Amino acid sequence: MKVQVRALTFSYGLFTLRVPEQDFGEAGITAIVGPNGAGKSTFLKCAASVLPVSRGAVLVGGRDMAGLSARARARLAGYVPQEPSFTFNYQVLDFVLTGRAAFIPAFSSPSRRDIEIAEESLCFVGLEGFSRRLFLELSSGERRLVLIARTLAQQPAVLLLDEPTTFLDPRHEVGMMELLRRLAREKQKTVIVTLHDLDMAVKYADDMVFMKGGAVIASGPPRDVLSEPLLKAVYDIDMGIVRTNGRLVIVR
Amino acid sequence: MAFVATLAGFFVPGTAGEAREIVITDDLGRVVAFPAKVERVISLEPEITRIIVALGAGERLVGIDFFLRHHDHLFSVLFPRSKSLPVVSNQGQELNYELALRLRPDVIFSSPSEFRMTESIERKMRRPVAALASMGKFDVLLREIELLGRIFGREERAAELDAYFRGRMEALRAAAPDAGGRGKPSVYLSFWGSLIRTPVAYEPVDAAGGRNLAAGLLPSQLGAAGTTVPVEQILIWDPDVILVQGNYPPGERSVTVEGILGDPRFSSLRAVRDKRVHYTFGFWYWWDPALVLVETLYLARLFDPGRFPDFDLAEEGDRIFKTFYGTEGAFSALCRTLKCHEWIAN
Amino acid sequence: MSGSRTRRTTSLLFILAAVLPIVLLAVSLNMGAYPVPLKAVWTTVHDALVPGRPAAEASPYADILFRIRLPRLLLALFAGAALAVSGASLQAIFKNPLVFEFSLGISYGAAFGAALSLVFLGRGMPAQVSAFFFAILAVLLVLLIAGRSSSQIISVLLSGIIVSALFQALLSLVEFFANPYALQALIFWLMGSLAHATWSDLSLTLPVIGLGVVILILLRWRMNVLSLGEDEARSVGVNVRQEKILIIVVATLTTAAATSVTGVINWIGLIVPHLVRMMVGADNRKVIPLSASFGACLLLVADDIARTAASFEIPIGILTSVVGIPFFIILLKRSGKVWL
Repeated sequence: MKVQVRALTFSYGLFTLRVPEQDFGEAGITAIVGPNGAGKSTFLKCAASVLPVSRGAVLVGGRDMAGLSARARARLAGYVPQEPSFTFNYQVLDFVLTGRAAFIPAFSSPSRRDIEIAEESLCFVGLEGFSRRLFLELSSGERRLVLIARTLAQQPAVLLLDEPTTFLDPRHEVGMMELLRRLAREKQKTVIVTLHDLDMAVKYADDMVFMKGGAVIASGPPRDVLSEPLLKAVYDIDMGIVRTNGRLVIVR
Repeated sequence: MAFVATLAGFFVPGTAGEAREIVITDDLGRVVAFPAKVERVISLEPEITRIIVALGAGERLVGIDFFLRHHDHLFSVLFPRSKSLPVVSNQGQELNYELALRLRPDVIFSSPSEFRMTESIERKMRRPVAALASMGKFDVLLREIELLGRIFGREERAAELDAYFRGRMEALRAAAPDAGGRGKPSVYLSFWGSLIRTPVAYEPVDAAGGRNLAAGLLPSQLGAAGTTVPVEQILIWDPDVILVQGNYPPGERSVTVEGILGDPRFSSLRAVRDKRVHYTFGFWYWWDPALVLVETLYLARLFDPGRFPDFDLAEEGDRIFKTFYGTEGAFSALCRTLKCHEWIAN
Repeated sequence: MSGSRTRRTTSLLFILAAVLPIVLLAVSLNMGAYPVPLKAVWTTVHDALVPGRPAAEASPYADILFRIRLPRLLLALFAGAALAVSGASLQAIFKNPLVFEFSLGISYGAAFGAALSLVFLGRGMPAQVSAFFFAILAVLLVLLIAGRSSSQIISVLLSGIIVSALFQALLSLVEFFANPYALQALIFWLMGSLAHATWSDLSLTLPVIGLGVVILILLRWRMNVLSLGEDEARSVGVNVRQEKILIIVVATLTTAAATSVTGVINWIGLIVPHLVRMMVGADNRKVIPLSASFGACLLLVADDIARTAASFEIPIGILTSVVGIPFFIILLKRSGKVWL
């Protein structure tokens, strides 16, 4: 499903985010990159409508997110924060089940089908057998996977993930990006992530969006848009782009 | 309470021979030494205030407590001068220290249920403070009268009141056949605005020929006069008579005779079936010595009406009050406030 | 713990939860100052349920059992359930295991409302209405003071303490200005007591509590979602504001209904949900219904002690405080640990 951003502005404090127009491709991974304070997370949250946006600013599958109820929005876009906020020590399956909220009426409890979907989501992220484990006893990486499983259970067309690879060791970093790729390819999800690791972005993203100072500097497929002058403009330091083993690698 | 009279004690300046100091142990177990001459008094304990007035030493009161001024309408009838006295305590019966100091009392009387306050007054005022109250017992009341008589130099008057009180009680006992006939009716008292709060000692009932069912029970708080019983206990006791505290203004009563008579829980009680549910005066942790006498007479007649054929309680009440306070029609005035002529004219 | 073992434990607990209140009710019916022989209890109850015995042979114990004991026992069950379920619900949506009716000011708000009504408005206005109004006011104040960061543990707890203190002060003010006649009744009421339970009191209270508890039990899974926090709950598709307000209102109404009849009985809303979580984990689908049942049982047992342990009535608020406060301290000491 396509995500279209039109005339989006959001400000808090002294910072203002301004994106006049941005499209995100379907069934692929788009990586939003840029220096600290560029507004990547803010942009992501606005696109997910976690932050309140004005009418017409964000359209998912052609529908205006600002005009929808929380339930309708949840079926379109799922937002995965970097870390969950404080929570009770639920079992992993119960935690993932909360992702089904948009499908369960207010006074009801999850059905067998809901539980099946939750378990499938756990399998997809590689946490089969984790159902009865307690959430707060998992490692940081495992918790992230559970968060993604929860958003998967939500069955949205678009997944937005904030810095999913931070603090992960290289092996888990790769595992995470592979998972996102499978989400895009196998499940046809539109995946939008913020990353600060440029190498990962270059390797896995179908599209990249470069941000700085609350604005989009450039966007497009990596091989098209990546250039040393662009990197200098965005990051304010000299960086080199090296082609090795058929891949692009950024060198500081 | 032990009374020790010391001749020419250390407290006496100057004046030779006759000035005596009185040392007592008050109801909180504190040793208190009264000066030889007590001219200025503050009393926070309404019972003591009334005795002082009855003894004729009322002009020595320099202040009055909040309760007597604002919630006791009888007192201004008994002692009109009280209306011009400054109020030295607040709604919580706490002393206004600065005002009290300005009034320069020689002695302060407080309530035994307020230990901390008593101590605090002693420390701040550095005057003798005595905590006294009868808590439902006649002999304690009489001892207070005697003691206050000595403190204020009104021993004769105290003896008069003592004799009068004892005399009337004797007359009552003489007129009552003790263990003959029907025996003593068992009585349940509902005091302090609650069905289930009852005093563990209330002598007027005993003196009038009844038996307080709650007598001897553990009070629910140490030093308190009452306890709380489960509702079922009342059913177990099945009292002959139920008495409800009546010295509430009628609009303020949460427990009423009609309420008990109409309460489905009590329909099986003897007292309810025989309609022997009545008001009585009761007490608020302090007494009016005259009212106590009236109440005892009232109860005696209630328990055994045949004993007092030609007896007008209102008239007797006025007479008793006149003996104590010298005022006419005081009891009738009280009855008008409490609307008690409805229930005493049995 | 293996999966099947926990499942069996949970099922057993649910069976216990369904059965225990009834068993305790039957046992408590036999307890009391008035000696009623066991056989007589059975006969009286049987006669009441199966009509047919002519009035002449009616049991003399009917009054004791049905007019005095039964209303009190039912009040204990319902009030216990009300306090426990409200506490558990509030803990879930405020994401704070230290929250309960006391720490949110609901207890003292309701107490102040009821006191105001008793002292100044007389018997004209039922105390329940005033109690509910001020309980809601207390919660609103807490939310206002805590601000948008109502997910922060310290913030809500602190505001709850402030608001509780505010209403305690207002309560003292009412006591101060009350005439000594009303004051007597009020002070006694504040200590918490089920001794005054009569059918007329209960005719309004029990249905309200029953309804409130049922609604909260129906919303039990929703509380799992709301306990994720505002942002996450919203992104998962829940109308957070609406549902949170609903739960707060229902929990407050239920607590206020109980408090306006029983006076202030604290700590049930804290103890019971925690005990339940220690047994079955944090999933509110289990915690909420089990809390209702065990809260009911706990208060019933406490009240049995209050009315039979000594010759006088022990105020039940004191009993629950004596147990609750050490429990709270222990919980606080463990607060470094992961919340159950």
